[in-house]
Amino acid sequence: MNRQRAIALALIAPALAVVALFFVAPLAMSLVVAFRSKNGAFTLEHFAKAFDFYSTDLLFTLAIVVLSTLLIGIVAIAIAGYLTLGGNPRAVAVLRWLYRWPLFIPFVVAGQVMRTFLAKNGMLNHVLIGTGLIDPLSAQSLLDWRGIVVAFVWKQAPFVTLLLAGAMASLEPQHIEAARNLGARSMRVLIDIILPQVRGTLLVGLVLSFVTMLSVLSVPLMINPNSPTMITVDVAYRISTHGDYPVANALCLLSLGLSAIGAAFYLRHASRSSVATS
Amino acid sequence: MKFRHLFPVALFAFAGTLFAQTTLNVITAGDQNMVDYVNNYLAPKFEAMNPGVKVRAVGTGPGDAGSQKIYEKLSAQQKAGNNEWDVDVAVIHQLASATMVNEKLLMMYRGDVSAGKLVSRDTAKNALGANVDGYVLPMFHSQIAFAYNPDTVKAPPKSFVELNEWVKKNPKQFGYNGVKGGMSGVGFVTGWVSAYSGLADKLEKGPYDASSQAAIDKALSGLKEFNQYVVMTPGNAGTLDMLNRGEIAMGPVWVDMFYTWQADGRLNPKVKLSLPSPGLPGQPMYYVIPAKAAHAALAKKFIDLAESPDVQAEGIVKQFNWYPGIDPQFVQSKMDAASWNKLFTDISPADLSKYGRPFPLSSYFKDITEGYERVVTK
Repeated sequence: MNRQRAIALALIAPALAVVALFFVAPLAMSLVVAFRSKNGAFTLEHFAKAFDFYSTDLLFTLAIVVLSTLLIGIVAIAIAGYLTLGGNPRAVAVLRWLYRWPLFIPFVVAGQVMRTFLAKNGMLNHVLIGTGLIDPLSAQSLLDWRGIVVAFVWKQAPFVTLLLAGAMASLEPQHIEAARNLGARSMRVLIDIILPQVRGTLLVGLVLSFVTMLSVLSVPLMINPNSPTMITVDVAYRISTHGDYPVANALCLLSLGLSAIGAAFYLRHASRSSVATS
Repeated sequence: MKFRHLFPVALFAFAGTLFAQTTLNVITAGDQNMVDYVNNYLAPKFEAMNPGVKVRAVGTGPGDAGSQKIYEKLSAQQKAGNNEWDVDVAVIHQLASATMVNEKLLMMYRGDVSAGKLVSRDTAKNALGANVDGYVLPMFHSQIAFAYNPDTVKAPPKSFVELNEWVKKNPKQFGYNGVKGGMSGVGFVTGWVSAYSGLADKLEKGPYDASSQAAIDKALSGLKEFNQYVVMTPGNAGTLDMLNRGEIAMGPVWVDMFYTWQADGRLNPKVKLSLPSPGLPGQPMYYVIPAKAAHAALAKKFIDLAESPDVQAEGIVKQFNWYPGIDPQFVQSKMDAASWNKLFTDISPADLSKYGRPFPLSSYFKDITEGYERVVTK
């Protein structure tokens, strides 16, 4: 028995070492630096400064990420729903082929694309003006919070859709057919029959997107680096311009707090589903 | 098929690295044009003069952030107790040079290179209030100025006060990049504070006095109101992009970037420059040699070439549109009048000396940029 335990421990040791060395240790160092004053004593001054300077940005970050998560959910449900229930096989095939593209595009490229696409005299407004939908004087730049949300939704919705469409495809088709036989319309089938069964997958996809978006630097840096901006930009600015690691670490811990909310959701769901399967 | 063609090329490249015995490592802060300058212009010249030497230039990114990375790299090697550091020549901003001289990361070398006698400006001795005499040679000077489109701006504001009135009549037509998007925005903010705090001289010459914070904050609260009428742009290049697309009519830009973009056809050729009173800041970039550079002798030779009047004329002024790092009189005589005058088309030498100011002392600089976050953007 002991021998078996030793072997088991030896087997997971490399993985544990990697986690300890590259995740736990830096996190601990970050904690120490965030709470240590110049003379080495415990202090909350860095957090006070972080709140003093960046409380707007913290709220802005939370608002952007929550809004993007909601929109991603809606887009993903719409696309996955059509892929599962869509009546026109050709349209389904085209959509299935198209929707995954943004998955393979890095965030920084997405930011760069949006920068020219959403500018005041950018492609989007040119098209809108050209088709007569808006007049030139009312064209405005979308390179503010809206640009960040558009880039996030564009980039993350396919990821959630991929998970969701997979979960929907593995449902028992009898449920859907039974509902249809009783006269339910597609929308009703999607909302009442399909969604409740894939809720867990949707939640996991959204939580992962939430945490990913919290940590993206490139998109806000390229689209809207001025205030209010996302907390990642402030962290980069504190470090690169002021060499101010304490406040940067305090900001990192605050954003860790935000992503912990997501992690709590994730763990609750994971533990529930592991109870359900056992 | 394609790979077969590549093979001899790869072989030559490999052979090339075998024959070059020494690599001179040049590390430079600043925009991509800095790396381009070293790689495309200086390196070939230096390699031709010194067979067996290969120059390798690496960029660390724009703004003080780029210099900060160089500082951290050298500081780490110092703390590790290394005897030979892997950087031979560094190109850094003023703020970092003060810190690096202070922490003994740099070598005193100006007396060892002949071009050391050609520098005349105060910036060769003084970096934001810190004494850097002997440790640095200015590679070039650059200047921030307002770029404007004369089609929409008939008479550009001549001062910050006029600008403040102008933006109210022309809302959302002036754009700048805040303090997090590059130095042209930072320079605009320090220029604003110099103009409205009444402390211009003190901010530049010192002595530092923490009680000036109140006056700085007051100037910044005026900027907060000003910001309601302007557009925030995403970075130094972002301001030029928006000017070019006609989304703004005016904004602060680096003069050298402005001329380079115009020469490349990336900026509307009609756009012009003006320097308002009481002035906007400019700054040099410095050539420095780390205290324990592995190839210090070669590094001195490299800087001597880079500071020679011929290279300053052809490379710095003519090709890259910077103001020279050495005394202009040595450079002007090496150039045709047309190329020299191009540098002063919109901003005359007299205006440049009157309104081209240094950045504030580093302590004030920090007070202003942090004050901006506390007062303006919160």
